[in-house]
Parts: sequence; structure tokens; C-alpha cells
Amino acid sequence: MSKTIPPTCSEPQTGLKYWRGLDELAETPEFQSWVEREFPAGASELTDSVSRRNFVKIMSASFLLAGVGLGASGCRRPEEKILPFSRLPEGYVHGVAQFYATAFPTRHGAIPLLAKSNDGRPTKVEGNAAHPDSNGGTDRFAQASILNLYDPDRANRYAKGGNVSTKAAALDYLTDLSKQAETTKGAGLCFLLERSASPSRARLQRLIKVKFPQARWFIYEPVDFDIHRKAASIATGQLVAPYYRLDRAKRIVSLDCDFIGAEEDNHRFIRDFAKGRKIENPESPKNDELINRLYVVESLMSLTGANADHRLRIPSSQVVQVAAALAAEIVGQGSAEFGALVSQLGKVAGVDAQWISECAKDLMAHKGTSVVVAGHRQPLAVHLLVNAINDRLGNIGQTVVYQDSPDTGEGTIAELAAALNAGQVESLVVIGGNPVYNAPAELDWAKTQRKAKTIVRLGYYEDETAAVTDWHLPLTHYLESWGDVRSSDGTLVAIQPLIAPLFDGMTELEFLARVGGFGTTNPYEIVRENFSTLASTLGFEEAWKRFLHDGFFTGEKPRVIVTALNWPGINPVLAQVKPATAPTKDSLEVIFHRDYKVDDGRYNNNGWLQELPDPITKIVWENVFLLSAATFKALGYTQKDNESGHAFVPWVKLTLNGRSVEGPAWIVPGQADNTVGVALGYGRTKAGRVGNGAGFNAYLLRTGDADYIAAGATLSATSAKPYPVSTTQSHWAMEGRPIVREANVAQFAERPDFAKAMAMPEPPGGDRSLYPNPLDVPDKNGVKPRDKSPHAWGMSIDLNSCVGCSACMVACQAENNVPIVGKEQVGRSREMHWLRIDRYFTGSVENPQVVTQPMLCQHCESAPCESVCPVNATVHDEEGLNVMAYNRCVGTRYCSNNCPYKVRRFNYLDYNKRPLDKLKGPFFSTPLLNTVDGEWELARWWRDPSRGIRPDDEWELLKLAKNPDVTVRMRGIMEKCSFCIQRIEGAKIAQKVKAGASADVEVKDGTFTTACAQACPAEAIVFGNVKDPHSRVSKLKAQERDYTVLEFLLTKPRLTYLARVRNPNPKMPDYTVTPASFEEWEKQGNHLAAAEGAEHEAAHAHEAAKGAH
Amino acid sequence: MSAETQIQAPMPPAELAREPLVTNNRNVAWVSDQVAAIIEGKTPKWWWAAFIPSFLMMCLLGAMLLYKTSVGVGVWGNNHPTMWGWDIINFVWWIGIGHAGTLISAILFLLRQRWRTAVNRAAEAMTIFAVMCAGIYPALHTGREWLDWFLFPIPTSNSLWPQFRSPLMWDVFAVSTYFTVSCLFWYVGLVPDLAIFRDRAKTKMRKFLYGLFALGWTGSNRHWSNYEKCYLILAGVSTPLVLSVHSIVSLDFAVSQLPGWHTTIFPPYFVAGAIFSGFGMVLTLLIPLRKMCQLEDIITMRHIDLMCKVTLATGSIVGYAYIMELFIAWYSGSPYERYAFLNRIHGPYAWGYWTMMSCNVLLPQLFWFKKIRQNLLIVFIASILVNIGMWFERFVIIVISLHRDFLPSNWGYFAPTWVDIGTFLGTFGLFFTMFLLFMRFLPMIAVSEVKGVTPQSDPHHPLGGAKGGHH
Repeated sequence: MSKTIPPTCSEPQTGLKYWRGLDELAETPEFQSWVEREFPAGASELTDSVSRRNFVKIMSASFLLAGVGLGASGCRRPEEKILPFSRLPEGYVHGVAQFYATAFPTRHGAIPLLAKSNDGRPTKVEGNAAHPDSNGGTDRFAQASILNLYDPDRANRYAKGGNVSTKAAALDYLTDLSKQAETTKGAGLCFLLERSASPSRARLQRLIKVKFPQARWFIYEPVDFDIHRKAASIATGQLVAPYYRLDRAKRIVSLDCDFIGAEEDNHRFIRDFAKGRKIENPESPKNDELINRLYVVESLMSLTGANADHRLRIPSSQVVQVAAALAAEIVGQGSAEFGALVSQLGKVAGVDAQWISECAKDLMAHKGTSVVVAGHRQPLAVHLLVNAINDRLGNIGQTVVYQDSPDTGEGTIAELAAALNAGQVESLVVIGGNPVYNAPAELDWAKTQRKAKTIVRLGYYEDETAAVTDWHLPLTHYLESWGDVRSSDGTLVAIQPLIAPLFDGMTELEFLARVGGFGTTNPYEIVRENFSTLASTLGFEEAWKRFLHDGFFTGEKPRVIVTALNWPGINPVLAQVKPATAPTKDSLEVIFHRDYKVDDGRYNNNGWLQELPDPITKIVWENVFLLSAATFKALGYTQKDNESGHAFVPWVKLTLNGRSVEGPAWIVPGQADNTVGVALGYGRTKAGRVGNGAGFNAYLLRTGDADYIAAGATLSATSAKPYPVSTTQSHWAMEGRPIVREANVAQFAERPDFAKAMAMPEPPGGDRSLYPNPLDVPDKNGVKPRDKSPHAWGMSIDLNSCVGCSACMVACQAENNVPIVGKEQVGRSREMHWLRIDRYFTGSVENPQVVTQPMLCQHCESAPCESVCPVNATVHDEEGLNVMAYNRCVGTRYCSNNCPYKVRRFNYLDYNKRPLDKLKGPFFSTPLLNTVDGEWELARWWRDPSRGIRPDDEWELLKLAKNPDVTVRMRGIMEKCSFCIQRIEGAKIAQKVKAGASADVEVKDGTFTTACAQACPAEAIVFGNVKDPHSRVSKLKAQERDYTVLEFLLTKPRLTYLARVRNPNPKMPDYTVTPASFEEWEKQGNHLAAAEGAEHEAAHAHEAAKGAH
Repeated sequence: MSAETQIQAPMPPAELAREPLVTNNRNVAWVSDQVAAIIEGKTPKWWWAAFIPSFLMMCLLGAMLLYKTSVGVGVWGNNHPTMWGWDIINFVWWIGIGHAGTLISAILFLLRQRWRTAVNRAAEAMTIFAVMCAGIYPALHTGREWLDWFLFPIPTSNSLWPQFRSPLMWDVFAVSTYFTVSCLFWYVGLVPDLAIFRDRAKTKMRKFLYGLFALGWTGSNRHWSNYEKCYLILAGVSTPLVLSVHSIVSLDFAVSQLPGWHTTIFPPYFVAGAIFSGFGMVLTLLIPLRKMCQLEDIITMRHIDLMCKVTLATGSIVGYAYIMELFIAWYSGSPYERYAFLNRIHGPYAWGYWTMMSCNVLLPQLFWFKKIRQNLLIVFIASILVNIGMWFERFVIIVISLHRDFLPSNWGYFAPTWVDIGTFLGTFGLFFTMFLLFMRFLPMIAVSEVKGVTPQSDPHHPLGGAKGGHH
């Protein structure tokens, strides 16, 4: 290893100050430019965002931070310690990754993480399974957040009025601001914040409030989840926030609550929900208590609706009536007034009353083990009704826990706008957010914000809002920051940096402390000070170290509040609710929803998320107007056969209250008629190279009074040509093929082996595969090469647990250096995801059932891909992996043609080397004719073949995001899922080291897993050694539900699936005897002759049973 | 007089008499002069009119291939799941065309079909150029064409050997062997003719070059005897190759398990299809050429008629195979197999399937009628349509099978890009450039062999050499 250059000493100057001339003393611009002339290289470092030298500095600084033992040699002593999670610093081996506990902050909580650091650069995050409220699963945003750290478009400078300034100048400005505020007691000083669950920030806010009592505080979140807290506080009359325990619920009713997809903390909801769906004990009675049952009432087809056993589609505005009807059945006369209100409100036209009453009966039969949840898009009344229902069902303290949650009392953005318009704002401090882009349309925020005399903003991007500021300071990424936060269960978790701020940015805590003019501005000290108020002083150091090591602190938690309903708070709100009129095709209902990929727009410049297919529509790189098939037809639209990756759809105009935006119209099966779903977060103009120009901006339509559900919109055709939308899966139906196999609980009870019964008859010739594996041929000692290894890797995916959230896809992309290809290339079906989630609709287009299936390399034992490769580039190893030798691959692509699962991906272009701004445009640019940074590309390539045609800033940053354990593939090469072979080898090496002289080289079950399995919050993916009969994967594969996709090809995959079991209520009017996929398959007549009779009998039996009810 | 009459073979009755292979009682000298005129005469205007666009198209091929190599396979329309598109379609198509030459020269030679002599040289040349066009595709369709040598069993320090289980590996051997043997066969046949042109040459350059390649041919009995033996052996070696090359190309598909590819009927069906398209191309080339070069007396209507009959026969075999494929798909009971064929018939590419069916199955049935076989315009158009049909056959097999296979989530759609089209046009440029150069500088007709089948060369014929008395 070459010598690590110690970082430059940045001590403040002490003692006498010598100056070289009067110019220096005066610090005139002339002198500054003279310095720059004298030391051109060094001086230019000040403005150059990322250079190699700068990077080396950063790297070495991060070594120091990591406490790697260089502390003594550098002049900047490590002021802050991070304790490695599992290894001691002295055990540090260069090149071996280290893990640190940290957390990914969300609006109201955090996802506890273990972040992986490769020689000082974070490359991957995993959930912290030791945290009391975590199983090690994460969500797609946390997985993708690593790419934001290395985003070449992030704010990388201190800017004053849009021009480069210095950090020192910015700090001086903050000092001035603070001094000024001190004299005025904060009058005219306004803060606009984002939501945060950081106790340290709350403490700083309190301290500033004491110091500047007249300063005003505002919070704006375009997608806000505070309604849950607000409603619970009103319903109980105390300051509480609900914390749901879905794992304790046998019956779940979601009222437009997309807890699997778009609600806060969905990874935790998924975990708890999936826990209730698992069928792991073969002894458990197979009745409708076997797994939980999910009822969903919603307008858009959400991920939650996709996993529902019963789904009622109605416009979002009418959900309140369903809630009232449920409340009328369950709560009844909670208070006399309440009873009257709900019985009046609970009349819903067009909904089968039996649906609601049977649902209510089912809930009442499960008192204390049921839960009703309302979505953040729904108005307060629905949330209050839900609180009342849960209270009456005895769910409080069981499935719903009220936790103490103070109201910090910030104002809204509308109030800030009023203050701005009244000229009351002297200085506006904006931390994070992007109000110019996403504030309610009627506030005209770009102009309104400018009414403040000075605006200072701490932001991660120089985005739309940055353009309307006087000072713009770069915000640090959470992996560069010290901080703390409470996860939603109330546990305090630590945010620790893994790398020194790449662009010398500032954390929110430091910024607030500087604005407040406090002595302690070091975020580490701020967090530590706050921690000292929570932990007992006795053994504080130990507790602090433990906190940093574990990443969380369990010594202190919010109180759990048990209380009765506060009827006087609930009833007045309900009294104001007017039943909504049903939308029509000329007066459509618009539903603004949080996007599954870019959230409210904050991840717009993240390529992994842009290219992640939407879990339902499978659209990438943009948003669309979601319409039901009937509405689409009623409006007279037609769609060209969308068998290609590009679908050509009408380009239409949506008008709402005089404001309009244009975009493509798209059919979603199962959406409520006459509603338009519009995802927020697209149509950015200053997002960066990735996000600019993707989709349309729905915020232009959105006003403060109708922030999620707006009535009275119209769609009109435009003269534009049909617009190409790129999707990763255009075919919706399974065509009656038993690919995803599922049954109802009742069928499962009768035919526990239904999954195997759905298999195709095997071809004559028995078990003779077309492509026998050479490792099955015994050697001269009669031993099969395959038997020599103690390991045989395999995977099991439980389709009952998989909800389709797609966290695994992003995790795989991060772990395996999978490139993004851009919208144009996805339109040509060339996306590179090693793991994809297949989504099929079954049944009718109005009320479909949805199934999802993660599809990745099946690691066939008799692999069709291997024998057709002319150069031996894809071969089998003795542990059963189908491995790719990238060096050997010449790219004939025959392996993919012969792969029945089509899970291989081909690098059609040099995706890893294409500049980000070329992702959208024409992909043809030959190095023979092209120039980059003014240099002929071919000459550039000759000089350094690895850098590609990326501009320097992109190249320097994005290469840091790569996992060093995985090859970055060039063009012309086939690639595919390797079962994370780098992790397998790592685990084997670790075990061999541990085994020492003993022969115990078998890796123990559970010591490691693949990236997808690790990220899966539902634990649907289980990986392990199938040779070990006690491993979890072996046990799962022994289940009766275990089946192989396309088993008749005798490819013998190592990846098998556990069939899905639905749990519909036979008393419900929409009860279906068989899941639609089963029915479809049956119609096709593919079932075994022997099974035929049995299946029909089963079907008839159910029909009879249904008739009897 | 009467004695002379007696030693002659009895002539068949007039109604059974075969049309002579060279008509209008042309003598051997006329044959030499007529063929030599193409080479020795002034370059005709139509030649330039054909050559310049062909040459430009060949340059286009170079540009397209350079572009593809510098950017990646992504410049073509290939995608996921359709990993093979126009690259392999065109490979198989050109290879198929390359079948007629060797079939005519080798199999018809062994079967003593003497009419082959008029067309074999041009057909063999066509074969070689078609195989060259075909060879470009597998060599350059790979993702990293600079590593194609991995496919050859060359001992390297990596100790890696190609995988002999892969049909692509077999392809390498089949195609390269075929190309080598075809070249040899063609060249050996050329030797006596090169000597003729050496002897007729008026410039030193010509004399030197023709002389060099004529290998000192003097036409002695010993030369003729060795030549005939060599030719016979080469014909024997080539004959299995005619059958093997396309059989092996068909195994590129049949060895896979993709519905629509995994079919045991492929080898014979591909060979029949190849001969079908090869004869189509021979007709396309020779019908205008015999007119342009005034070779109607050598490439006679009888030749056209016979080639039409071969086309009819092979077209019918192909048609039978199509129908048998459908039957087996139904009979197999496999829903995947059934779907693959239903998808051909009325899927998004049904137009491709029906183009194939009408061009390859219905159209050749016209050749049952002699009137149609004698109508050069119809035969010419039909021969072009045969090749369009055969192109679509490969399109149907490759693209339609790939674009919708087992899991509907994978289904996609393939569309070519302008680079695909440019490359394909470019191969035509290469083919025609080569062919035009060939016909301008080498004898397009196997002069010595044609002379051998003229009545004048038969000493027992009334017009035969015995009577001419020029010994």
C-alpha cells in the first residue's frame, strides 16, 4: 500500500500573524488572484469540485474518521470516533470491507443500517438486524441512497447569489445572521424545515427558540405523514402518535392506506404483514386463521391492493363513506352524536352493503387481533373514524400502540407565504426541501420566497429552490453526517459518517447551531450533548460507545399512552364532512400520490430509482396519468399494441381549476373509474443530468386545499403524436401458464400439494435432461465432482411473503455494479437488472388479482445456457452455481436464447461508460467521430481505456460507488445473477480462517446471505446451503408448496418458489372460488389427467359451499 | 456412307429426343469466343451501372461494421429476449444461398446431370461470395469480435479450449470447411479455362496472371486424366458438405429448447430450404446475365426449366416441413409449443409468417405449368420472391420464436435499426461487387466442360468431331 498522505492541517492560526504585504493584510481581490497565479495548481483546488488529489485527501480524512490507526500521524486528530460494528480497528485489513452502524433518516423515523465501507468509501447499506425493530430489511430508497452520495450533480460549493464563494464567507454570513437575530430577538427570522425525527434537531430548535423567541418556524413536506399523529392526538385528546403492529393482526383493513408501498416505514409494515402471511409450520390447521386476511379499499391499484385478499375499488373521495359505514357497524353508538353522524355518512352508492357488513363482522370476530389503517392521502375524518374503530375493536395497545409524541408547533407553508406576503420576513432560512418546485401551486412560491430580504438555504442540490436564494450551502449526505434520530418505535438510533463530506458540506445540526450562534457547532458534540440528556451520567462513556457501536440506544423510549376516545374532538370534524359526489368522465377525480421510485421528487436524480420499474405499471423514467380501462375507453383513447418495451400512448392534457399539465395516459387494471392517478416528483427542471426532463410536474396542478384528492378535473386530447412510454414488462397476463401458482386457503387444505399438481406432465424418458451436467459424471473413484464440496447453494422464494416492493432489485443493482441504461434503451428491452420482479394481472381488467414473482438466474443444475456457449464462458461449479467467466465471454448471446427464464442480460452498449446526459438522447455516438472534453475520443481511449467517455466529474464520483468485489462489465458481455458469489467466497474464506487446521470448512447457515435476501423486509428470499438438511432453505424447500418454474424442462433449478396461498373470506360477495391464475390455468386444460377429477370436485365443493352461505 | 451410319448409335425417336444442351448448333469455337467476349471485350455500360452502386454499397458495409465494432451490438435492433435478429437471419440466409453452387457442381456432377455445365461456374462463384457475406455475420455479431479467436482450438496459456458441445462451435468448423472446399472445387474447375484465356491473352499482364493461375496447363491427356480424378474426388468430398453445412446451421436452433427451435425436422428441412433459395438466387442472377452476355444458347430455356423444377421440388419439401411443424406442435400436447406456432400464425408478426408461406409454398406451385416455366419474366420475379420468402423463413424461426417464449413477462418485440438495414444492404454490395468482378475477369461459363457437352464434341454424333476431321 502506498503511503497515505496526511490531510492538510486546518488549525486556526494562533499567535502573531505575519503578512507578506499590505495586500494580504487587506485580503484584496488582487492579492487573491496573485496567490492563484503563484500557485495555479494548488489554488485551483479551491474551486475544482473533484480532482484526484482532492479525492485522496478525502479518502485519507475518512481513514482518520474511521479510527483506523492513522490518528497519531496526522496533524488533525480524530475528534470523532466511530466504533466498527464487528471488527476492531487493529484487525483492519486493507481491502476488507468494514461495517459501521448508522441510520437512513426518513420523515418521521429512520431505517437503522449497517453501512459497508471499502477502504473508506461507503458502497452498500444493509439493515441493522440487531435493532429491536428491524430484521435487517430495508426499503428501495435506503438501498438507492448510496448513489446520491456520489451524485455528480449534488451541491458542491458555497454559493452566494449563484456565484462561487468560500466556506469561510458563508460561515461569516451565518455569524452575522445570528448576531443580528440576537439583537432583534429573532424578529423577522423564519425557518422553513423538513420533517425530521432527530432529537438533537428538536433540542437545537428549542434552544434557538429560547434565544430568538420571535423567530418563526415552518415545516413543509409535499408528501406528509403527520396526519397519523395529528388524528391520533385529536382522537385521544393527548399528544400521541400511533405505532402499528401488523404482525399481531389477523385481519387488516386498509382504507386507501398503501402501507406496503407509499406509507412511511413501509419496510417495517411489509415485515409485519409478511410475518402474518408465512406458512412455515406444516402442522398448523389449514383454515382461514392460517394466515392474515387483508381487505383494501382504494382507488389506485397500489402495492397494498395488489396483495389484498379482497379489494374494493372506489374513488378516494368516497373512502370516508366506507369508513363511516364500517364505523357504523362496529362502533355503533360510540356516542349518540357519533352514531348519528356515521349512519348518515355511511351510505355509499355503488358499493355492495354486504361487502362492508361482512368485513365488519370479520373484524368484530377478531377483537384485539385486527387493525384498520387509513392512508396519509385521506382526510382527517377517515383517520378519526379509524381510531374510533380500532378503539372499539380493542386493538389499542395490541395492534395499535399510542406513543407519546410532542407537537413541536411549526407553522405550515401557507402561513409562511402569508408572512412573506405581509413583508414580515427579514431572513428566510430554508433547510432541505425544494419548495420552489413542490410548494402548492397557488402560493407561486418562486415569487413569494423572493419577498424575504435575504434567503439562505442549506440544500443537497442546487435545484429549483437554489435559484431563488442569496446564499446556498451544501448539505451533507447522511453517510457524511453526525446525527441522531428516533426510529418509529421510538428507539434512538445514531447517524455516523463513513466518509468526510465530499464537498465540505454542512449538516443540518451544525447549520442550525451556527444560525443560533451557539458555542458548540460540531455536530458530533451536538449529538453527544443530546445523548447525555437521555442516558444516565453513570457510565455515560460506555453507553455512548455502545450507542455508536450498536447504532441504537434502548435505554430510553417514549411512553406508551393508554387512553379513551375523546368524542368531543372527533365529532365536530365528522360533522363537517360532506359526502363527495361521484366523479364522472367529465369531472374526474385526481389523486396525487407519492411515487414508488422518486418519492416526492427528492430521488429524481438517482438513476437506480429512475430505472427501477414501478412495481405496478412497470414504467421507468417518468410518470403518467393512470386511468382505468373503462375511463380510458370512455375518453376515446386508444393504445397501440404494447408488445415492445415502448408503448405508444396518447399524449393528453389534464386541467384542474384552470391549471393544466400534459402527459401520457396509461391504463392500470383495477383502478377506480373516473379517477386519474398522478405521481408527484417528476418534471424537474434543475434536478441534474439524470432527472432533468423525466416526466411531467404534477405539482403545477396541486393546491393546498386539495393536496391529495382533487375533484373536477378534465382530460382532453392534444394534437401530439402517440408518445412512447418505456416499460420493462408489457405483457400483463400469464396466458394460463402455471408460472405463479396459487390457491385459496380452502383449496390448500384439500390439496396441500396443489403447486406440484399444477406441473406439466414430464416428457417421456423420465429424468433425462437435455443438458446433463458434466459434474454429475462420476470420476474414476466413482465420486461425482459435485459431491466433493460441502456446499450446494440454493434459494427459496416465498411468493406468499413477497409483496413486490422491489427493494431487492435496488440492492442487487448496488451490490453487483449493475449499470443503468436510460429510458431509450429500456424501450428497446435492454435493461440490465439481474433480478426483476415479474408482475401478472389475472382475472378481469376491472377487478384483477395481481401476483408478483422475483425472477433471477435459477442456477439450473442442468443448465441450458452452459452447453450452448462455444467458448466455455458460462460453466457450472461444484457448489451448483452457474457461473459466468466475463473474461472468456465473446458475446454470442446463445446462452440467453436458450435460457427459458430469460434472466441473462447483455451489455449491448458500454453502459458503464456512457455519460449520464446521454442516457436519454441518441445512443449512437461512435468514438471514431466523437470528442469528449475537447479531446478525440479514440485518443482519449488510447490514453486511458478504462475511463470511457464520461466527463471527469461523473467519472471521478461514480466510480466510487462501485463494489470493488464485483467486476464492472464492458460492452459485448453477457451477465446475470451470480447468487452474489463474492459474498459466498467471502464467507468461505472467513470460515476457512476460522476453521484453521480443523476440517470444519462448511459455512454455517445464516452467517451470510445474498444482497436481495438481505434487503428483503419480508424475508421472502432465503438463501443457503441445500446440502445441509437443517438449513433454513432446505426446510423451506421441503414444504409441500415448493415448486419449480417450468419444471418440465428438467433444468432442475436451485431456485424454487413456495406457492402463494390467498385467504379470501367465503362470506364476502366478491369471494372467488379459485384465484384467477389457477382458474385461468384450469381453463387452459393443462392439468394432469389424474388431478383433473380432484380439481373439479374441489371447485364444485367450493361452489356448493358458496351457495350455502 | 451406310457403314458410317451403322457404327453410329441409334438415334431415339424424334418425340423422345432431348433438346441439345447448346442450342442453335453452335460449335466449340463459338463457345470460346462467346465466353471470352465478356472478358476480352470492352466493358459494357450496364456493367458500370451495376458495379458502381454495388461498390458504394460495399463501402457502406465497411462503414456499418466499423460503426458496430466501435460502439457495440446495441446499434442493431437486437434486444432482450430477441438476442439474435438480423445478424443471424442474414447469416443463415446467405449460407442457404451458398448451397446451390456446390449442389450443382458436386451432386449433379456425380449424378451425371450434364446440364449442370452451363451454370455450375457462376453458381459456384455465387456460393463463395454468399458464404463470404454469410461469414461476416457470425464473426461480427459477437459482442467482442476481437476475441472471436476463442472459438478456434488454439493452444493458449489459458489452457482453455472451446466447448465442443456447442453447436456454434460446430458451425465454425462446418462453415470454414465448406468455404475452403468450395473455393478449391471452384478453382480446380477453373484451371483448364484459365489456360484458354492465357492462350488468348493479348497483354503481358493478362498472360502472366492467367498463366500463373493456370498452373502450366497444356491440355495433355495426363493433365486431363489427373484433372478428372481430382475433380471427382473433390465432388465426392463436397457432396456430404452440401448436406452437413446447413444441417449444422439448423442445429444452432434445434439443439436449444426454445419452442419453435427445438425440432428434429430441422436438418433436412434446412437443407431443402437452402437448395430452394440457392436455385432461386441462381435464377435471379442468370436470367438477366444470359441476356446481357448473349449466352442464350448456352444457358438455354431447358436449363431454366430444369432449375424451376428443382425449385418446385425443394419448395414442396419445405412446404411439407412447415405443415409437419404445425402438426407436431399440435400433436406434442405442449402448450408452449402450440403457442409458439399459433403466435407465428396470428401473432404480431403474422405478416412475416404469411409472407413466408405464400412465397415459399404457394408460389413455387406455379412451376407445375410449363408455360410459366418458360416465361422468363415470371420466373425472374418468382426467383426473387423465393429469396424474400426464404429470408422470412429465417425471420419467422429466429425472431418469432424468440420474441415470445416461456414466461410472458419476457415477451418483447423486435424491430431492426437503420444499421441492421445498412449492413444487410452492404452485404449485397459485397456480393454483387465480387460477382461483377468475377464475370468480368473470369470465365462465367465452364468453357471446357460446355464444349464437352456440345454435339460437336461427340465423335459419334452427326455433327461430331470425327466428321470434322481436324485431328
